[in-house]
Amino acid sequence: MIRRAPSGALILGGLLLVSTTRHWLGQTLAVLAVLLGLVVLLTRSEQGALFRWDHFLPFKNKRWQPAGPETYLGKLARRFLPRSWFFDKLTGKDGKIRQWCRRLGPTVLAAPLRRIVQGLCFTLFVVLFFYVCWPYGARPEESGRARDGWQLASFEQAAGTLHFTHANPLPSWIRKEAFLFVNAAKATQCRVETTGGGVVTLTPLSALSSADAQEFLFHSGTWTLSETPIGQWPSHYAEHLSERERVPADLFLTIDPLVSLSTAIASRSWVWSLSCAAVILLVCVLIPRGFCGYLCPLGTLIDLFDWAVSKRVKRFRVPANGWWVHIKYYLLLFTLIAAVGGVLLSGFVAAIPVITRGFLFIGEPIQSGLLRGWHLVPSANLGQWLSIVLFLGVLLLGLLKPRFWCRYVCPSGAVFSLGNLFRVSERKVESSCIHCNKCVAVCPFDAIKPDFTTRVTDCTLCQTCGGVCPTHAIKFVERWNTVSLKAFNEPATHETVLGRRGFISLAAGTTVAITGSVATSVATKSWGARLDQADSFRPIRPPGSVPEQAFLEMCIRCGECYKACPNNVLQPMGFQQGLEGLWTPHMNANWAGCESSCNACGQVCPTGAIRALPLEEKKVARMGLAIIDEGTCLPFANREACQLCVDECVAAGYNAIEFTRVHTDIDANGDPVEGSGHVAPVVLADKCVGCGLCQTRCYGINDEQKGLLNGSAIVIEAGAGKEDRLMTGSYQKATAEASLATPPKADPFADDPFGL
Amino acid sequence: MKSLAFILIALVMVTSPALSEDRIEFLNGSDLKGTVIAIHKPEREVEFEATIAGKSQVTRYPYAKIHAVTWKGKRYEVTKKPAGSEPFVADPDERRSEAEVMKVIETYGKPDPSWLASASLDFPDTLDLSWPEPAPKPWNNRKNIGQHIWDVVNPNESRWRGGITLMRHLLDQKPDAKLKLRVQKSLASMYFRFFQDYPRAAYWWHEAGAEAGDQDSVGLAECYWRMGNLSMAKKMLQSRTLRLGKIKLLGDMGETSEALKLAESYGSRVKEPHECYLIAGDVARQAGKFSQALSYYQKVIDLPQMKNGGYDNRHRGRAQASLESLKQFELLDVKQIPNGAYAGSSLGYEGPVDIEVSVDAGRITDVQVTKHKEKQFYSAIADTTRQIVEKQNLKDVDTTSRATITSAAIINATAKALEGAQP
Repeated sequence: MIRRAPSGALILGGLLLVSTTRHWLGQTLAVLAVLLGLVVLLTRSEQGALFRWDHFLPFKNKRWQPAGPETYLGKLARRFLPRSWFFDKLTGKDGKIRQWCRRLGPTVLAAPLRRIVQGLCFTLFVVLFFYVCWPYGARPEESGRARDGWQLASFEQAAGTLHFTHANPLPSWIRKEAFLFVNAAKATQCRVETTGGGVVTLTPLSALSSADAQEFLFHSGTWTLSETPIGQWPSHYAEHLSERERVPADLFLTIDPLVSLSTAIASRSWVWSLSCAAVILLVCVLIPRGFCGYLCPLGTLIDLFDWAVSKRVKRFRVPANGWWVHIKYYLLLFTLIAAVGGVLLSGFVAAIPVITRGFLFIGEPIQSGLLRGWHLVPSANLGQWLSIVLFLGVLLLGLLKPRFWCRYVCPSGAVFSLGNLFRVSERKVESSCIHCNKCVAVCPFDAIKPDFTTRVTDCTLCQTCGGVCPTHAIKFVERWNTVSLKAFNEPATHETVLGRRGFISLAAGTTVAITGSVATSVATKSWGARLDQADSFRPIRPPGSVPEQAFLEMCIRCGECYKACPNNVLQPMGFQQGLEGLWTPHMNANWAGCESSCNACGQVCPTGAIRALPLEEKKVARMGLAIIDEGTCLPFANREACQLCVDECVAAGYNAIEFTRVHTDIDANGDPVEGSGHVAPVVLADKCVGCGLCQTRCYGINDEQKGLLNGSAIVIEAGAGKEDRLMTGSYQKATAEASLATPPKADPFADDPFGL
Repeated sequence: MKSLAFILIALVMVTSPALSEDRIEFLNGSDLKGTVIAIHKPEREVEFEATIAGKSQVTRYPYAKIHAVTWKGKRYEVTKKPAGSEPFVADPDERRSEAEVMKVIETYGKPDPSWLASASLDFPDTLDLSWPEPAPKPWNNRKNIGQHIWDVVNPNESRWRGGITLMRHLLDQKPDAKLKLRVQKSLASMYFRFFQDYPRAAYWWHEAGAEAGDQDSVGLAECYWRMGNLSMAKKMLQSRTLRLGKIKLLGDMGETSEALKLAESYGSRVKEPHECYLIAGDVARQAGKFSQALSYYQKVIDLPQMKNGGYDNRHRGRAQASLESLKQFELLDVKQIPNGAYAGSSLGYEGPVDIEVSVDAGRITDVQVTKHKEKQFYSAIADTTRQIVEKQNLKDVDTTSRATITSAAIINATAKALEGAQP
């Protein structure tokens, strides 16, 4: 009775919060509160514990009776589910549930719920990576039919209706009840009322604002009526992603606390995913290190790899205790110190970035190659091969011991381990323990001491041990529970909090971590981006990236942006910026150009190194500036006519490349000879955003295809004055202010003031 | 008493609409009924309250957009309506007499276009507005107006209005007779080439005193023809001066035999008749005389090389391309092609697009793209190939939007394949 009150309060409070709050944080907390309340309510209710959330399948010993200690959930299940699924008291045979679990494996039999949650999380991760971030389902809007040359006969004030006439007879697609757009400068959507007598009467769908009405009162030219709005900026890639992203694509990256913590420290700024990290750490107060046991997709992948490979290869196995058992803490220290120094190394070793990069460099080429064609897979550089090798290394650690990475190396796990100090629940062993050692053997996280009590910093509450204990001595209850516990340190564990040997290893490990971290930070900075030097390599960053120094400190090198980018425009850097830029995204304009209707990279970036911009902002955010090499450009060099770049820029909608004429022959009078010379491209610096489509075309045709050039004649360059990188604020506003500041006639020919 | 009340009510009802209903007439012909709230003389704006579709709005309208305001029962004309501000639309079937043509030129050609009044000047400060002739060497398109027009204005549609604004600006500077003539001819040529604004082009050519035999006579002739008078056009073309443009115009006007006769006589009189026969071929093609067109194009190819290698390449290349395209598109008869599968290739977006087209019993049964390196092809590959089979020719196939280059490559590749297969 007393226990139901707090759980009832939690459930009601949660439901109230869900229904009233719109903010995602409030809703997440509310959902968690509801779940918590349900769990407290439905798990084992007995005296002696505030709550007990055992979900393992109890071991079937000879005296075991299913009517024993049972949860509300269990009782409900027995009532409503088919009887054949459960243990039959009369015959002593396993029910269907146990039979199937036994077939799948001993750990599934012990704790099936954990395996189910692991499977669901892994599937979600795979779906988010390979389906949600797959952009190629996007299709551009079909433009409908249009006809221009309409005259506005009259504008009826009372009803706001418009009457149009045209010299030619009415086309079939303009008929009663059709929906049309009236375009002069802006598109107004209207419904066709009547079409009699050569006059089309339209009623605007929404009330005309005074600005719209002015259109019809002022414009003294012809009008266009069309089925779809004309000249609208395409947005199909952006819409495609937002339709698929019911769950954020970078969900797992945001809940990895090491990612957001180290990024926030390195860049000395608030990173939005810190709130997600806070949520997951809060959850892990209730289920200590539950992330590692249930949610982490890298852990599940390692489990699968172990089952497939490591369990069969026993040559490299190492014993349980070695010098490596606390590497994860030193690695965590290492990355945090580096972050303090402004060097973000956590992305190399944090759990979710590791698996995301692994899927990216191995899985993405295969997906692209099979579904789109192998010619569309860009070649890999040295940095990518290094990442693949490291990823395979993480998996192959399983040969040393199953889940070696999770137990001893993963620094994200170390964050949770430290969080375990604030835990609310714990694994406890009762005095009925018979010291059979089955739990120690099966524990995937090496979290059970030789006296069979728990190493609380390592236990993830996966409850596999509970399912194998023959005397049902293991329970998962509140931390301060001391009911019928078994004797401590029996048998002796030889594990003290800190002995003399422990102290030495702590000192050694800490020293290695600190010096290693400082050394690596210094090395990275010296063989790094060298941003203070004028001639340093300036990569072209994705649109909406924060300024370069902050970018290097915020980019976690996870790889989400490469996956979401259509046509693989964004590619991982190798060592062009030394170690500092390794695996960060840059645009390879020779391969493809940034799609004008897409803003995916910002939407999926978990740390905000690429800001999540709406499309109107992204399309004015400059990535770089196109620079034409007048020595090699075919018309400038008087070799042949070529206007690939101009056509591309116009087709994309930027209209940032204009024509000029070059090599015109002059006759005796000094007049130009018609038909001589070539048209050549000129870049309008105030319109160019550096999308790279021009470079793609020039390189693809003039270099690769025709062999006329060695490299594209028009190249996108980054650097001061050529790109816009705002930490905060609106790009549209910044661009508008900049255009007010510069003289109105931006003269593209003004780079030759002496007329040389 | 009752009658007095009735009279008063009647008076109020009769006068109140006139009292409360002000009216604004706009330059484009529409009008608005409402109430004048305020007149802002220094800003030259009228603040007006009107109910549009049931919603009441108060807006400030600038004088420049208002034609007339009826306020307190009295009508005030604010801005004169520019006559002929609507662009003249050339109707190919309409015929006009000479007097009517002149009237059109006077009504539609003389006034400036409506956008010109509010257009801003768009040329470099360094331009020498005296426009000396001959132009000083070396070529400098930021100094010399003619070179600026040639390099910057002509190739870019976004700069065309600027070009006309510049010419008008020059006229406003009251130039001397020689410069004035030059500017008028330029203006006429710009209206003609950029906007196909025949009345205005004709007006300015008249102002510049163009006559038959002039450099501008062909353009002026085309204006007359487009405005609906064939005889005026032909009269303007009558002169012994050799002009290639005459041949093309006669062909466009439908006088094919006269055009080809002129081409022959022209061709026999000049040393390098390449361009002349090229135009003759185009004229014949336009008139549907395909075999004649083929022979003219072949003639160009068979001529000896021109002195200027660049011109020679261009004319010969154009003749070759026209020859091929004629065979591939207009002259393509699928029924003549023997059964079989034919391969063709054409440059697409990223690289060559290879196709294979199958023909059976005089019908295209299938078009398959066998190899390509395209990135963004969306549905071009399926859609274009489907259209080719559906339409059974290549002329009527539409390219897929946002994948036009890939579509065009598929069409051209199929054309090459079928051309090779023609007996």
